[in-house]
Order: sequence, then structure tokens, then C-alpha cells
Amino acid sequence: MPQYALDIRDVTKRFASHLAVSNLSLQVPAGSVYGLLGPNGAGKTTTIRMILNVIAPDAGSIAVLGQSVRDSTVLDRVGYLPEERGLYRKMQVRRLLRFLGELKGIPPRVADPRITEWMERLSLKTPEKDWGLSKLDELSRGMQQKVQFIGTLLHDPDLVILDEPFSGLDPINAQALKDTIVELKRRGKTVIFSTHLMDNAERMCDAVCIIARGEKVLDGTMAQVKSAGGDRTIALALAGSAGNGVTAILADRALVSRADDHDKYYEIELAPNADAQVLLRRLVDAGASITRFERVTPSLHQIFLQRVGAHGIEEGMSGHG
Amino acid sequence: MAKFWAVFKREYLERVRTKWFIIGTFVFPLLFAGLMFGQAVLSNKAIRGARVSNIQILDVGTGRFADEVRARIAGPAGAPESIPIVRVAPNEQAAAESLAVEAVKSRRLQGYLVLDTAAVSGSRARYAARDASSVGITELIERAIEGVVLRQRLEREGLDSRKLEDLMRVNLSLKTDRVTDRGVGGAGRASMVLAIVIVVVLYMTLILFGSSILMSVVEEKTTRVSEVIAASVKAELLLAGKVLGVASVALTQQAVWLASAVTLYFTRGPILAKFGVGSATPIPMPDVSFGVGVLFFAIFIFGFTFYACLFAAAGATVNSTQDAQAAAGPVTMMIVVAFMFAQPVFLAPDSALAVALSWIPFTSPVILPLRLALTELSLLEKIGSVLMLMVSTGVAVWFSAKIYRVGMLMYGKRPSFRELGRWIAQA
Repeated sequence: MPQYALDIRDVTKRFASHLAVSNLSLQVPAGSVYGLLGPNGAGKTTTIRMILNVIAPDAGSIAVLGQSVRDSTVLDRVGYLPEERGLYRKMQVRRLLRFLGELKGIPPRVADPRITEWMERLSLKTPEKDWGLSKLDELSRGMQQKVQFIGTLLHDPDLVILDEPFSGLDPINAQALKDTIVELKRRGKTVIFSTHLMDNAERMCDAVCIIARGEKVLDGTMAQVKSAGGDRTIALALAGSAGNGVTAILADRALVSRADDHDKYYEIELAPNADAQVLLRRLVDAGASITRFERVTPSLHQIFLQRVGAHGIEEGMSGHG
Repeated sequence: MAKFWAVFKREYLERVRTKWFIIGTFVFPLLFAGLMFGQAVLSNKAIRGARVSNIQILDVGTGRFADEVRARIAGPAGAPESIPIVRVAPNEQAAAESLAVEAVKSRRLQGYLVLDTAAVSGSRARYAARDASSVGITELIERAIEGVVLRQRLEREGLDSRKLEDLMRVNLSLKTDRVTDRGVGGAGRASMVLAIVIVVVLYMTLILFGSSILMSVVEEKTTRVSEVIAASVKAELLLAGKVLGVASVALTQQAVWLASAVTLYFTRGPILAKFGVGSATPIPMPDVSFGVGVLFFAIFIFGFTFYACLFAAAGATVNSTQDAQAAAGPVTMMIVVAFMFAQPVFLAPDSALAVALSWIPFTSPVILPLRLALTELSLLEKIGSVLMLMVSTGVAVWFSAKIYRVGMLMYGKRPSFRELGRWIAQA
């Protein structure tokens, strides 16, 4: 096993008039769960498509599992879950899964027992009902997502790439997905997923890369990324709703460069050269009843807003999905 | 290669499993056989059943003429007495006729025939009945009257009518032969039938299976399957598997049709005999040598691939089934234009126009087989035009693959022709 499951060096991709990915380099350690984070239109899907050799980069090189992606055999060891679910609606589920297996070089006789195992595990096959014999469009949306997921993992890939896997999942399926990602990591597989849901990424990823406007903003292990957020973040909690006085203080740009307002809870980024003691004093003077005032490591969400915001993303885009 | 088979197999099996394929492939020949036998049996019955009974002859002063007509209508084995003759004077004709009409209305009579001096002169007679449009009966009556008129005329000239009828009985059948470089062989009309069959089957195949490819590409785009597949196989491979898979479906269907046609050809006589149809009209077999058969096959494969790739490329440029038909417009137009030329070529398969059309890529898949069936092509023409078709198919595949490769992952507004050019350049 090479050190990196994915090694992207100086990759650039330009479409007609706009630069989709610019000089991007990133390394994903083998056996890790890696988050590719960025707002919509940041270049995540383009990057993933280049990793899968669906489109070719204009410059730079991409190695997957130690092999260049130009050598298409390596793709048989990669599993890919696209952002928008893609399956033949009129096909019988089992035949469809066999076909997806064959596309990855797994003959039907090898695929069949695996399909059965997965379908039983995800309760698509129960003693009462075998959905494998139904056509895909007879299945509910949630079941179709499960089928797609089985298709992604059927050939037991070493590298799994999930493009926005959590979008549109109900809590039960989202939990099943998290469990599966954890299990894949335990079995030594590498999982890369793109998302703009920072909470998921923060809980699951060993390392992340934040990209915006096609450029890398920040990458590294979760600890590195967090420490890059600095120690200028303060968690503030109030007993009641904030009065006008508190709101005015938090709007003071000499003191606070950003405040993430959750009404009774704030994540505050101190302005450069501002003193936390001064902020605390002014809040007390304003009559705020403080239940918590603490220096914290910023959340990934906060870092994302801070870095991507500073990088100047398009108006109206935030880290919230 | 295994992946190509996976795509090929899926395209083939998923289509062959549809009920439309099963209906088209198996029910169509059954329907055709049913029509053929049914028509033969029914027309046989109709001819034999065309007997005139229960009619009345209104004789308006013709005398013996009416008796003779009656005898001829009844036939040599029939009973002339079953056809009553009502003899009336000209001034009673209207009254007698209204009585006859009443009889027909109340179904006591099938119909009535009015014979007057005009009938004797051989110019005009009148038959009124519920089934007055029945060709069998009217023809029988017409022939009976004509026979009597002719006999009377001949007699007036002093000739023996019975002898003359014998002399005039000639039943010639014209056999048409097709002259080729190899000599005389095959049946000319059979070649024409073959040509028509080829044109119809080719047209249906190109339009139906072509749009089937178009829709499947659009479906893969709208359901985003294309993205999953693109992450596993090359676009060119997917396109090849799709086109050849669908071509095989078309070939399967045509093989079944051909097999049923051959079976029908050999079993037609015995089956018809069972229905009591003695001698079925013989169907001449077209003269197709093995070499020409191979050429047909090659032209079909390359011609189909040519158009199938264009349909696939057209499908790759759109995102919805609504837009698909519009995108297919130019390709469909090409096919329709090619088939519009089929008629002039059919009438003059060796004309300069026909020769020129055999060399043009988008018309040659239609015109070439037509001409092969109708006339003899020089070796240079055969090889040259087929090579030309192969080369242009290669070019079409190359262009389509590029458009397809870019288009299958492209969403958004339909590209202009200029943008298509850019797609081809960048892929």
C-alpha cells in the first residue's frame, strides 16, 4: 500500500471561460477518512471527476493508490457515489447491481453472493420480500439510495469517493452511512467525501481540505486545521436573549471581527489586537447575564466561514448546506 | 473487453426483454402469416361463393335474350328455373320495378336485373340489389350478358360462336427475368419486392432503433447514470457497446422475421391446401447470391452504426426527453431525405443520380441495398461505395464519440454548433 491513497499535484482545469480548479495539490493518507470541503461551485465535483479520469486535467498529475489515473485499471479499485443518484430506473435491482459489478471487473458469480449479503444487511432482502427482483422505480427513494450505495461498494474498493453523500438522506440512512464509513476505515480502506456540512466532516474526518473558487484554502489533519483557526475564538453563552447593548458590542469591529449568532449562544472571533478581557468587561457592563465565556478551539464550521469568507466567496454562499 | 461485453449485454438483454420487442418480433410475423393465409382463404371462398341465387330478371321486351342470360348466370350446372323472369311491356316497367324493389326490401329477393333493348345492343343493363357492390356477382352478370350479346352478333355474321370461344381462350402469363452480368436469372418482380422490403425494413430499423439509442442516452443523462458509468469505463467503450448492442437487437429481430418468412415460403402451399385452396399463386424467390448477402449485411452494420452514432451524439447534447426529439431532428431529416431518394432510384437504379447517391455517406446505406437488389453493380462500384461508407462511418463514430464524451456529463443549455465544435476540440 502506498503512503497516499490519493496524490494530486499542481492540477489545473479550465472550462471555456472559467477556471474550475487552479493549481491544486493534496495528499490523502491511505486508510484515512478525508473531507473535501468547499462551498457550491468550489470545484469539488470537477476535482472528483479528474480523480476518476472522467475528465482530464489541463496540467498536473493525479495518482490513485500509487498508480496514475491515466492507467484506467486502477479505477476498478475505486468506488464512487455520485452526488446525484444515477441508476437505470427500468432495470431489475439485482441485474443492475450485477451490471455495476461487471463494470468494475467483478463477474456475476462473484457479485451475486455479495449482493445478497449487502441487500440483507440493508434490509432490502427480508424473508418476506426480496426487492432485488423488483424494478428500481418500484423502490422508495431511500431504498434507491441504498442500492446506489451497494453499487459503490460491491467490488470492495480500496478507495471510496462519496460526492455529497449526506445530501437528501433521512437520519436513519445517514446513520447507516456513518457506520459504514467508520467500518471501511477500520478495514483499512480510504474514504474521501465531499460535503458542505461541516458538522459531519468535523466528527468523521481524520484530515480535510477546504477549497474555494478552485483553489486550496487550507488542508491538513483535523488537529492542524483546527490550530490554524487560532486561539482567538470565544464561546459565549447568555442566560436570556441578548439585549441591544450586547448586540451593539458584538457589532463593534474594533473588538469583534465576526460573531456567529445563535441568539443565546455565540461563537465569536476576536478582532486582531483586541483583548478578550475588554470584551468580557464591556459585556458585563452592558448587563448581560453570562453563563459561559471561554476561549475555545474554533469549530470547523467557524474556520470554514473565517477562511473561505476571507478568501472572498460569492455572495450568499455559506458553509450551511 | 469484459466491460465492453457488460455494456453490450445490458443493452441487448434489457431491450430484448421488453414487451415491445417481443410483440414486434414474434407477433408481427404471426400477424403477417394470418393476413396472408386469411386473405388467400377468404378470396378463394369469395370467388367460389359468388353464385347468384334468388334474383329476378325484369325482361322489358327482349324475349329469348333474357332466357339465354338466365342460363348463363345459372351456369352449366345450375338450375335456370330458380331465376324467375318477369316479362313486362315498356310502359309497365316502372310498376314492375317498384314491386321488385319492395321484394328486395322485404328480403324476398336478393336483387333484380333489368334487361331492355339497350342490353340487347350490348350498351347498358341494370342490376339493383342489397349487395350491388359485390364484385363477384356484378362481374358474373356482366360476363353473362356480354357472352349472349357476343354470341348473337357472331351468329348474325354467320359464325359458330362455340368454336370461336374455344379459339379465343388464351391464358398467357408473363414471366419476367432479370438480366445480370452473370446471365439471365432470378425473377425481376421478386427483386423489386425484395427492394421494397429492404427499404421498408431499413427505414423502420433506422428510425425506431435510432431513436431508441437517442432515448437511452438521454435517459442515462437525466438519471445521471452516465456519471457512474463514466467512472468505470471509457465513453467510447460505452458508446460502442450501446450501438452494437442495439444493432444486435435489430439483427435478432430481422433474423426472426427472415426465418419466419422462409418457413412461411416453404409451408405455404401445404397449409393452404389444408384450407382447401388448391394451387396457391406461386411466389417467385429473389436472386440473391452469397456475395450480395454479405454486402447487404455489411451495409446494414455500417449504415446502422453511422446513424446510431449520430443519434447518440444528438442525445448527448440535451438534458430532457422533451429536447431529445428536437436534437434528433437533423439526423431524422437526413434519413427521411435519403428515403425520399429511394423512389427515383427504384424507378431508374442505373441513373447518374442513383450512382451519385451510392457514394454519399448519408444516403448510401439506403440507396446501396436498393440498387443491389434491383440491378447489377460493377465490382468497382460495389467495393468503392462500401469502402466509402466504412470510412465515413469511422469518421461519424470518431466525431460522435467526442461529442458524446463531453456531452454525457454536461448539463445546462443546449450547445450551439460552435460549442459542439469546441467539445470536439477539447475531448
